[in-house]
Amino acid sequence: MAPLELAIERRGAPPTTRSFDGESVIVGRTEKADITIDDYSVSRRHARFFRRNGVWFVEDLGSRNGTDVNGRRISEPSPVNPGDVITIGSSVLRLPGDHVAAAAPHSTIEAERDESIYSVLRPAADLMEEVATGGAAKAMARLRLLHEVHRALAAPIARADLLQMLLDQACAVLRPEQAAIFMRAADGSVERVASRRWGGGSAPMLVSRRLAEEVIDKRSAALVLDAQCDERFAGAMSVLASGVRSILAAPLADAEGCLGMIALYSSIGVRRFSEQDLEVLVSIASAAAMRIRNIDMAEAAAERRALDREIALARDIQMDLLRRRPPERPEVELAGRVIPAHSVGGDFYDFVIAGEKLWFVVADVSGKGMGAALMMAVGQTLFRAVTASGGELGELMTRVNHELAIENDRAMFITAMAGCLDLASGQLLLVNAGHNLPYHLGRDGAISMLNVRNSLALGVVDNAGYPVTEVPLAPGDAVLLYTDGVCDAIDEAGQRFGTSGLERALGEIASLPADAVVQHLCDAVIRFAGSAPQEDDITVALVRYRGAGV
Amino acid sequence: MQIVQQRHGEVGVIAPSGRVDSTTSEALQAAITTVLDDGTTQLVIDLAGVEYISSAGLRVMLLTAKRLGGGKGALVLCGLGDAVRQVFDLAGLLPLFTVDVSRQAALGRLAVKPD
Repeated sequence: MAPLELAIERRGAPPTTRSFDGESVIVGRTEKADITIDDYSVSRRHARFFRRNGVWFVEDLGSRNGTDVNGRRISEPSPVNPGDVITIGSSVLRLPGDHVAAAAPHSTIEAERDESIYSVLRPAADLMEEVATGGAAKAMARLRLLHEVHRALAAPIARADLLQMLLDQACAVLRPEQAAIFMRAADGSVERVASRRWGGGSAPMLVSRRLAEEVIDKRSAALVLDAQCDERFAGAMSVLASGVRSILAAPLADAEGCLGMIALYSSIGVRRFSEQDLEVLVSIASAAAMRIRNIDMAEAAAERRALDREIALARDIQMDLLRRRPPERPEVELAGRVIPAHSVGGDFYDFVIAGEKLWFVVADVSGKGMGAALMMAVGQTLFRAVTASGGELGELMTRVNHELAIENDRAMFITAMAGCLDLASGQLLLVNAGHNLPYHLGRDGAISMLNVRNSLALGVVDNAGYPVTEVPLAPGDAVLLYTDGVCDAIDEAGQRFGTSGLERALGEIASLPADAVVQHLCDAVIRFAGSAPQEDDITVALVRYRGAGV
Repeated sequence: MQIVQQRHGEVGVIAPSGRVDSTTSEALQAAITTVLDDGTTQLVIDLAGVEYISSAGLRVMLLTAKRLGGGKGALVLCGLGDAVRQVFDLAGLLPLFTVDVSRQAALGRLAVKPD
C-alpha cells in the first residue's frame, strides 16, 4: 500500500514534505490533527485523507471555508492523485508527481461509483469527544439538541415508549427514511425491538451480522455510504437487497456495556449521511443507553418483587402445613417448630393420631429452596398417607422410601426420624433414616441420647430396609427430635452449637411444658448464632408421654 | 470452596476443598458433570480438603454414583475426614460408596480394575 506523501505549504512557514502510512490523515487547526494548520480560516477538523481499496481520497469534514481539489470545491469524498493540489484555507497540500493523464479526468458516473464504495467505522467514544469540541455554532446546535433529548429522557417513561422517542428524536435531527433499534438478547442474538418509517422508505430494515458486530461488540459508530458496494457488509443477511442505501449506526452503550444499536437508513438519492450526523447520533444513543439500562433495572426489580411475592406465598402454604396445631390427646403433650433458613425450606415435622397410636416424624430434605420445599411437601404427604392406613412402622417407612426412590433422577433424599407411640402402653418405636439421634428427657430430669439404629436416608435406594428400635416411655418421659440445623448452627466466631450446646440448653428446660421446651431451645440456638447467617433450617419437636388414663 | 481437577491416564480426579454446602454444591456438580460429559467413566473424588459437607453435597455424590453405576463406570471417594465421614455415616450412605483412605489407594484400585 502506497503511503500518502504530501508537500505542505503553510503561510509563514517553510514548506515541508511528510509521508503518512495510516488509513486516515486529519487536517485541521486542532493540535490533535495529523497535519495542524494554525490559521483561523481553517476549521479545527477541516478535512481528512483516507484510504479505500488502496486509493487515497480526501473529504471535507464540514469545514467553514471548504476544501478545494485542483481549484474545485469538493462536496463529497474525492480521490486524489499525484500532482493534485488540495487547498485548505490559505495553505496548500500537494501530492508530489505529475498528473497522470488517464487518472485525472473522472467521468461523473465512475466518480460516483468510486465514492460510494466507502464506509467509516470509528470508536464511538472518539465521536463523543468531538461533539464537545466541534465548531462553535454546530456545537451550540448539538448541545441544544442533546439538552432536549436529555430532558425528554429524564421524564418517567416505559421502555417501549423510550425506544420510540429515541427514534423520533433521531429522525427530527437526522431525517432518515427509516430507523430501527436492535438489542442484544440474552442468548446473544440481535433482535429488532423498535422501528419507524417516514416518507417513502419501504426497504426492509435489516442489519448485517458484520455491522452488528462492529457496532455492538466493538462499540464502533458506523457510517456506511453504500453498504451494497462495501464488501465488508456483504454476505449473509445482507443489509440491502433493495437499492443503494446509506446507513448510520451508533452503539447504545454506557460504562456498563453495550445494549444494542440504533440504525438509520436512507436512500442515497434522498439523503446521504455525513460524519457529523454520526456524531449527533452517537451522542443521542449514549444518553439513551443509560436511561434504557435504568429502566431495565427497574423492570428487573419489579419482576424480582413479583417473584418474591410468589415465594412468600409458597412459604405461607408451607408454614400452614407446619403450623397445623398438633392433635390433642390427654396421653401426650406435643410441640414442634421449624425456622427456615431460606424463605422456603426443606425441614418438616408432623404428628398424626390414628386409633390408639401417635405417629410422628422430623425430617430434613437435601438442599434448600423451592426444590427442597416441594420434596418436603411430597414427603409429608406420603407420611400422612401411610400412617393413615396403619401398619408396622418399619414397613411404612419402607413404603415411603420406595415412593421417594422410584424415578428419583435428581437424587434428592430425606433424612428422617420417625416414631410410633402406643398411647396405652407407652411403648415407643423409632426408625432412623439417616437422621440425627434424638434425646430422651426423663421424668427425673436425666437427659440421654437415644441410640436408634441407623439406616439409609429416604429416597436413595429403592430396596433399603428400615429396622425399628424400641424405647419404652414411662409417664413423664419425653423424646426430643431435631434436625442438623440445630447442631450445625454457627456463631459469629465460627463455633458450632453442637450436641454439647444442645444438651446444655436442654438441661435447663427439660421439665418445662412441651411448647416451652421447643420455644426455649429455638431461642437458645438463635441467641447462640447471633448475627451469623443461618445456613440451614432449624427444626425441633417434642413428644411427652403423660401416661394412659390421665 | 475450591475445586482442583486432575487426570491420571483414564481416571479423572476431582478434589473440592472448603465447604460443600447448598451454596457451593452446584459448582461442584457442574465440575463433575463437565468431566463426565467429556467421556470420563473412572472418577476419584478426593474429599481430603473438605471441612464440611451438607446434605446438598451428599446429593452431588449420590447423583455422581448414580450416573457411574450399573456398570457404566466407577466412582471412588477418598480422603474423608472425621467430620465428612460422620455426615455420610449419619445419612446411612457410606455403604453405597467405594471409599479409600488416600488418593493413591483410590487410583490404585481403579488402575488394577480390568476393563
